Amino acid sequence: MKIIEVKNLNKKFKIKEKEKGIKGSIKSIFKPKYKTINAVDDISFSVEEGEILAFIGPNGAGKSTTIKMLTGILYPTSGDMMVNGINPSKERKKLAYTIGTVFGQKEQLWTHLTPYDNFKFFGAIYDIPNKEIETRIEELKTTFELDEFINTPVRNLSLGQRIRCEIVASLIHKPKILFLDEPTIGLDPVVKENIRKLIKQMNKELGTTIFLTSHDIGDIEKLCKRVIIINKGKILMDDTMNNLKYHYLNKKIIEVKLKEKVNLQDEEGISILKSKGNNLKVEIDITKKDMADVIKLLDVDKIIDINISNIPLEDIITSIYKDAKALSI
Amino acid sequence: MLMEVKNQIKVMFLSLKYNIMKQMINKVTFITNIVFMILNNASFIVQWIILFSLKDNIGGYTISQVVLLWGIASSTFGISHILFNKSFELSDLIINGKLDTFLTQPKNVFLNVISSDTSISAIGDLIYGYICLFIYGINISNFILFTIFSITGAIILASFASILGSTCFWIVKGDIIADSLVNIMISFDTYPGTIFKSTVKIILYTVIPVGFANYLPIDTMLNFNIMNLIYIFAFTALIVLFAFFIFNKGLKRYSSSNLMSSRI
Repeated sequence: MKIIEVKNLNKKFKIKEKEKGIKGSIKSIFKPKYKTINAVDDISFSVEEGEILAFIGPNGAGKSTTIKMLTGILYPTSGDMMVNGINPSKERKKLAYTIGTVFGQKEQLWTHLTPYDNFKFFGAIYDIPNKEIETRIEELKTTFELDEFINTPVRNLSLGQRIRCEIVASLIHKPKILFLDEPTIGLDPVVKENIRKLIKQMNKELGTTIFLTSHDIGDIEKLCKRVIIINKGKILMDDTMNNLKYHYLNKKIIEVKLKEKVNLQDEEGISILKSKGNNLKVEIDITKKDMADVIKLLDVDKIIDINISNIPLEDIITSIYKDAKALSI
Repeated sequence: MLMEVKNQIKVMFLSLKYNIMKQMINKVTFITNIVFMILNNASFIVQWIILFSLKDNIGGYTISQVVLLWGIASSTFGISHILFNKSFELSDLIINGKLDTFLTQPKNVFLNVISSDTSISAIGDLIYGYICLFIYGINISNFILFTIFSITGAIILASFASILGSTCFWIVKGDIIADSLVNIMISFDTYPGTIFKSTVKIILYTVIPVGFANYLPIDTMLNFNIMNLIYIFAFTALIVLFAFFIFNKGLKRYSSSNLMSSRI
């Protein structure tokens, strides 16, 4: 069942333009110039119930604007959207009972209060009776291992503990969909891994649909089965992670340590990425050059150590961001 | 509907409770803020005492009536800044796109926003208001009328500030106009309304509604008139509705932001 449906969604912002210097400032008072930016440009997609979707793109791509429209924060310029069968622009309050939001860059917790007091406050916001809030806090405390710091003021918590509490606060009313906007920003690798585990657990045990934006490839690779890539307000790609990798994994990286230097040059299907002493790093396009031929060129007898790997997902996504041709995938 | 109102009020008072708890973390600052605000307000009365030593009445007001005027003005300011402090900072929230959290919550955005912060020094203003009433001469009817007018005055002041703040949905630097007009209203409410005539008087009952927040309530307390009471209630209801209307209309133009922010 589709839980999010977006059709031809647009959001335009009118921005005032000013020429440089004091002259420009005075001129803009009497003759203001405006330009229209298409932050979200005619996008359409849908999300299945229980799915974990990565919605990614470079800075200024339109990710946050899309999330803000789906959560009822912003009104779209045009287009249709339904979230859990509700139109966010028309029934914002009704929608709020069914969704949770975590913005990694914006705290919604009261920093001087303990997580417990915060959860009580959020319980009241969602009209949950006192007795029920207590039970819910107890459940979430156990599930998300908050025992240690549930009574410590939020301002004294580490960033990782704080984000964990932000996620719990957004789950207090058992939302069907959770919007996570860069939830692991600024976290160390261990805490990131913990947060990812929580998200996975939440999806598995509570069946929560997760709509995730992140610049962290680890988040996407470890959590999501489907990815939508957006840039300049347009969707560049909407595909499964497996397909994304399959299309781009025709390129391999060979890192080799040789007994002596070999004379390998750039040619069709082979590009030398790094050459230092007897060490070599080469990118091979296996649609143009067989791996066996490359190994032969390197001379098997001279190889001390060799490592063949796929191109990192990060590089794949960066190339999609940069390469407009990716539209034809 | 009734349940919705009840839940909204519950959240408003929970928010007030948490804001006071926040300020009470530092007890010394908490108490000195309140005490110094009372002393600060009291210092203005000295100016009036000097004026009344030169003249018997000003605009028909005696010193005790000016004390009552200060009392209403002070408690009006106090209640509005205790319950609706963010209505005075609405322009900043709109210009810098800080309404996101409130928009994702299933409550009335306008009420949720304006009641999300409390000025602790305003407790000093409220206490000072009732000290003035005590000095003027307290009795049951005075106390009831004073309390009613402090509440209607606070609602008018907060609504006025919200209407001006909401103009920032349309005007980028609307905060300057909003702050100036709110400050004008606060300045005018400590002078006897009778000293203003013709055009200025019209302005003070329309563009800057200090007449309905302070002057008419004082007149009603001095010479009770049921019609005045009806006018005050009607105007209060009208300005509240207008504040809701303007805010909700402007909200469609809200453009959020990606600024890092936290709720402190």
